[in-house]
Amino acid sequence: MIKINIKCFSQVKYALDTDELRLELKNGTTSVELEKMIREKSKGKLDGISMRIAVNQKYIPNDIKLHDGDEVAFIPPVQGG
Amino acid sequence: MIITPIELQKQKNDFTIVDIRSDQQRNEFPLKGIDTVIATEKGIHKISGKKVLVCQFGIVTEGIILENDMENTFSLLGGAQAWIEFQSDKEDLSQWSRQTVLPEIGIEGQKKLLNATVAIIGMGGLGCPAAQSLMSAGVGKLKLIDGDMVELSNLHRQPLYGVDDVNRLKVEVAKERLEQLNKNAVIESIDEYFNKENGLSIVRDSDIVIDATDNIQTRQLIDRFSKEANVPMVYGGLFRYEGQVAVLNVNGSPGYSDLFPDPPSNGETCEDAGVLGMLPGIIGNIQALEAVKLIVGMKHNLNGKLLIYDGLTHNTQIFQL
Repeated sequence: MIKINIKCFSQVKYALDTDELRLELKNGTTSVELEKMIREKSKGKLDGISMRIAVNQKYIPNDIKLHDGDEVAFIPPVQGG
Repeated sequence: MIITPIELQKQKNDFTIVDIRSDQQRNEFPLKGIDTVIATEKGIHKISGKKVLVCQFGIVTEGIILENDMENTFSLLGGAQAWIEFQSDKEDLSQWSRQTVLPEIGIEGQKKLLNATVAIIGMGGLGCPAAQSLMSAGVGKLKLIDGDMVELSNLHRQPLYGVDDVNRLKVEVAKERLEQLNKNAVIESIDEYFNKENGLSIVRDSDIVIDATDNIQTRQLIDRFSKEANVPMVYGGLFRYEGQVAVLNVNGSPGYSDLFPDPPSNGETCEDAGVLGMLPGIIGNIQALEAVKLIVGMKHNLNGKLLIYDGLTHNTQIFQL
């Protein structure tokens, strides 16, 4: 198992009602699989909302395998100004 | 009391001008065009009559006058640095003496600001504070782009507008207010929304474009023209208590399409989601700070990075794009 810290921003924060989560995941879990779990947890509140993923404060262009202790941030675009 | 270089030039025969700087500073930065007497801080009180005290940046002398409650004594605003610049270029930069004293800005940086043109797309929550700070910092030309009128519900977060301005064009009111901050600056008001037709010409002859819009479609359009014209874009966005800032498209660095490549989702605007006025104030000022750093050429900036600020916890995080 691997322990992952999750940072939630803007709509993700409100959809999950928290700005931080700690999850224990199966070895070999990928960033896209984690995004799927987050969307399921939100019970539809993130439907239609795109988001970028950063691992350890760096944007990742593709799906990557997560490692124990990684910090994964979910960042949706924001509209307001 | 203070006196500016322009005022001193006109009235220099009415004062004894007292240079309190060290030998090294006097030798390195000699004062031309005025006769001075040299004194140490302790020796100033021996000099009678109306006098002007000169230190290197105009800060020490203001302190001396205040602490000693000195009468008939003025501090030269911006000190020797401002006087020397005034003598060589006839430009009085003393208005910005508190920022030219910073080694990263200096006279050279201030001149870059005075010669810079910044386009601000959107004169709402982000555009108002960004425009105010850039104008105060001495940016020579601002282009303000917005087709909106002032509404009563704007006032709590758009401090350039007042109750009497409701139903007036934002760019017109903003121009009137901003002109008070620097009489020599040029402000071009464009009472149109940024679009495919006017976008390229607005971005092309600017040094920086500030994205202060409230919708993702316009952000994508600014990104497109910013890339095409090779003009850096300073992005800012808000969601409730959270703000984002990034510096994009600096000589081919990541753009908004790298930050958020997907077609716009139905995110909420400030009108829909609600916002406290301080948040756009903070984010708009961070955008202005980044613009100043780019113009002056400071190495620490948000180029290729996304900053996210949380107004509830004050946590700030920076992500590498």
